[in-house]
Amino acid sequence: MHSAFYQLARFMAALGGLILTALMLMTSLSVLLRALGFGPVPGDFELVEAGIAFAIFAFLPWCQMNAGHATVDLFVPLFPRVVNRWILAFWEVVFAAVLVLIAARLYEGMLGKMNNGETTFLLQFPVWWSYAASVCGAVVAAVVSVYVALRRVMGALGGQDTLPAGGGAGH
Amino acid sequence: QEVTLKFHQFLPQQAPIPSLVLDVWAKKVEAESGGRIKIEQYPAMQLGGKPTDLMDQVVDGIADIVWTLPGYTPGRFPQSEVFELPFVAGDAEATSRAYWELAEKYMIDGEFKDIKVLGLWTHGPGLIHSKTPITSVADLAGVKLRAPTRVTNMMATSLGATAVGMPVPAVPEALSKGVIDATIIPWEVTGSIRLSELLGNHTEFPGAPLYTAAFVMAMNKDVYAGLPDDLKAIIDANSGLEFSAMAGRVSQEADGPARQLAVDAGNTIVELTPEQIEEWKVAAQPTIDTWLTEITEKGIDGAALLEEARAAIAKHSATN
Amino acid sequence: MSNIDIGLWSFPVLLLMIFLRAPIGLAMLVCGLGGLVLVTGGPNIVLAKLKSESYSIFSSYSLSIIPMFLLMGQFATLGGMSQALFKAAESWLGHRKGGVAMAAVGACAGFGAICGSSLATAATMGQVALPELRRAGYSGGLSTATLAAGGTLGILIPPSVVLVVYAILAEQNIAKLFLAAFIPGILAALGYIAVVAIYARLYPETVGSRPRQPYAERFRALFRVWPVLVVFLVVVGGIYLGWFTPTEGASVGALGTGLIAFLNGGLTRKTLVNSFLSTASNTAMIFIIVFGAAVYNSFLAITQVPQEISNFVVGQGYSPWTVLILIIIFYLILGCVMDSLSMILLTIPIFFPVIVQLDFGMSPEHLAIWFGILVLIVVEVGLITPPVGMNLFVINAMDRETPLSATYHAVSFFVASDLLRVALLVAFPSITLFLLP
Ligand code: NA
Ligand code: NA
Repeated sequence: MHSAFYQLARFMAALGGLILTALMLMTSLSVLLRALGFGPVPGDFELVEAGIAFAIFAFLPWCQMNAGHATVDLFVPLFPRVVNRWILAFWEVVFAAVLVLIAARLYEGMLGKMNNGETTFLLQFPVWWSYAASVCGAVVAAVVSVYVALRRVMGALGGQDTLPAGGGAGH
Repeated sequence: QEVTLKFHQFLPQQAPIPSLVLDVWAKKVEAESGGRIKIEQYPAMQLGGKPTDLMDQVVDGIADIVWTLPGYTPGRFPQSEVFELPFVAGDAEATSRAYWELAEKYMIDGEFKDIKVLGLWTHGPGLIHSKTPITSVADLAGVKLRAPTRVTNMMATSLGATAVGMPVPAVPEALSKGVIDATIIPWEVTGSIRLSELLGNHTEFPGAPLYTAAFVMAMNKDVYAGLPDDLKAIIDANSGLEFSAMAGRVSQEADGPARQLAVDAGNTIVELTPEQIEEWKVAAQPTIDTWLTEITEKGIDGAALLEEARAAIAKHSATN
Repeated sequence: MSNIDIGLWSFPVLLLMIFLRAPIGLAMLVCGLGGLVLVTGGPNIVLAKLKSESYSIFSSYSLSIIPMFLLMGQFATLGGMSQALFKAAESWLGHRKGGVAMAAVGACAGFGAICGSSLATAATMGQVALPELRRAGYSGGLSTATLAAGGTLGILIPPSVVLVVYAILAEQNIAKLFLAAFIPGILAALGYIAVVAIYARLYPETVGSRPRQPYAERFRALFRVWPVLVVFLVVVGGIYLGWFTPTEGASVGALGTGLIAFLNGGLTRKTLVNSFLSTASNTAMIFIIVFGAAVYNSFLAITQVPQEISNFVVGQGYSPWTVLILIIIFYLILGCVMDSLSMILLTIPIFFPVIVQLDFGMSPEHLAIWFGILVLIVVEVGLITPPVGMNLFVINAMDRETPLSATYHAVSFFVASDLLRVALLVAFPSITLFLLP
């Protein structure tokens, strides 16, 4: 059960990494073509925008799975373990609720873009395509965060940590 | 006051259109309402989102009023594009009057049905700014030309240039770094980005502007509907044909001082003759043909719309 | 309750949530969404906003530089550049008193030139240099503190993720900010090396020694770090000279370091996936903060609180220098408990409008750049100030024998050098603006 969600989050992160790498290659190619006087890859900016949005949504589940978000742990040592477990579980539940809301609203946004026929400037592909890709990432993020929240609540109830407690600001 | 309206747009408050059109409109409405309407202005996307989100923001009520370009959301306002086609626009006031007239007839209940349109206008005659002098279409071959909208990007390609799409604020850097060699932009915008210091040639199309871009100022439909009748009347009195015409005229008037900067800088301003412009019209024709095909596929009689737009612009140009 | 009251009340609520260990981005998001519901009179506008807001921010071209820089740092590690840098620095400095720690600082500076992230620099160089320092007989406190402080060079020396975010918030040219950060970044590295030298004299028992290397060996080691120099020059130089946009520069840099890693045999399927996972975690963390801050700031804009604060401060008639110094002290205090990116995102929309209205006798652009560099440094000090300093935690966690208190003691010397540098840069803006046209 855990392994399925873990692998799902890992798969999405790796997929996002592949897309990021593809954008890196495309952008570098665009720089090269421009330097050689051929002009950039058509619509390179648009492709970066669509691709990077998907990549970031695809990165979210892995961050949820590993509790990778930045927190201030100033008062952690002051509270007993059980309180800290409940605090952790509480915020994971809130996070899950917010991510579910984001995914649902993004889906609504995608439907809107489908109905109004909006396209990009240069390549003129429908904007809802990019939204649809991002919705996939957002839905996985929502699903994984709900799973993580449930695990944290169970952990608090059962009195033990079953997932990494994480926390860290990586920049 | 009774009503507070959030007015959201993408330019800094001191830019020509925000200061000379939008702010003037807001102050006038506030004054005429005796303070019962308060308009909070949020320039430079302060309420969040990207400029391309403004249209959805006013539809959804995130902002009560927005000023944006129909062209920021390509595909949603196909009929408005008729005024952006190459060599369709006249001077801005005449084109803006024609835009409002046609919009009342075809677009207000059509492509603009989700918003309460307050004003529709276009900027002054569009022209080319370039590093190397451009007089004939051949001069544009392979030139990396920045264009602002879907239609103008199509046009750049028709004219043999390499179209590069980017927002206005990115233009100075892109120019100085050789990412682009030329840009189309109205004179009015060149002042704030000091364009005349970055390149030395400007190609004007007197009497037959190369292109223009369409603007829309709009209000959330429900918010408008919820106003008491006397306040509605104040909004109405300040909107529509005359407001649009004024906005177009002011936009074009802002061209003059910016053009003078280029003159003062000793730049070359090429004014093409009607004979020279003929070649450009022929070269740009594929853009019009493509647009006609596309709009026909959407079930709109594009040819008739184009004809009517041209006739209306001619009519208003004659009476100006 | 008026909108301004709601806006002002949101600050203590936000801080309370953060101190109760809410993820910082989530806390801003919840406060922003909740505040918007209150000031717009219901959930409808918030729900409408959420249809596009997440996509709009995640699809930002200018922010796409962040994952690119993170990927570049990952590849640089896989390419063995961190090792090569440390070996080169050690061969030149290792025999001096405290020389291995000085070498660690130098290597951090070198890695910072190709990595946009402070924590990544600390973590990467920590893995390479910490075992070496301990083996050479350096105390745990000095070793961990040196690397924690050295890690901040990842952000102080361009390229820098925090500077990218400042550039976007303050609408400034990224290339010029990178250029302006260069001299202060070098000063930071020199200051840390001086700290090591002083510390080694004050506490001689905390440092070990290494044999002097022959010059042939030194130059051989130095020669191995040429890829770092090439990547740095191409990326930062290319962005400045305008060969490409910052995002394009980061892409080219990631491609370059990726190729080096591939040629060195460091890039396998397994390490590639791991670098993706690490990039994923850090990118997601950063963008949740960016998203939360964007929503929170659009809520604050509606409440008019930033304008009111700005009007209030300007109306007090304090001297510009007083205001600047108060802001810096505020950052230093906040930095004790908060992380650097969150601080920038949260406060720049409030402080920047105040600063640009003050007269420091320089052009608006120079003012914005100078202020940006000062803010960059003071928020980075937060990474090594107790009680909450991310770099301290990361490095200390790598060395289980060293108590956090020992790290705190040694790091206080590095913090002192940071404060001295801030004072210097405040007093002499030309140090920062020297390289600018
Ligand atoms: Na760096
Ligand atoms: Na701290």
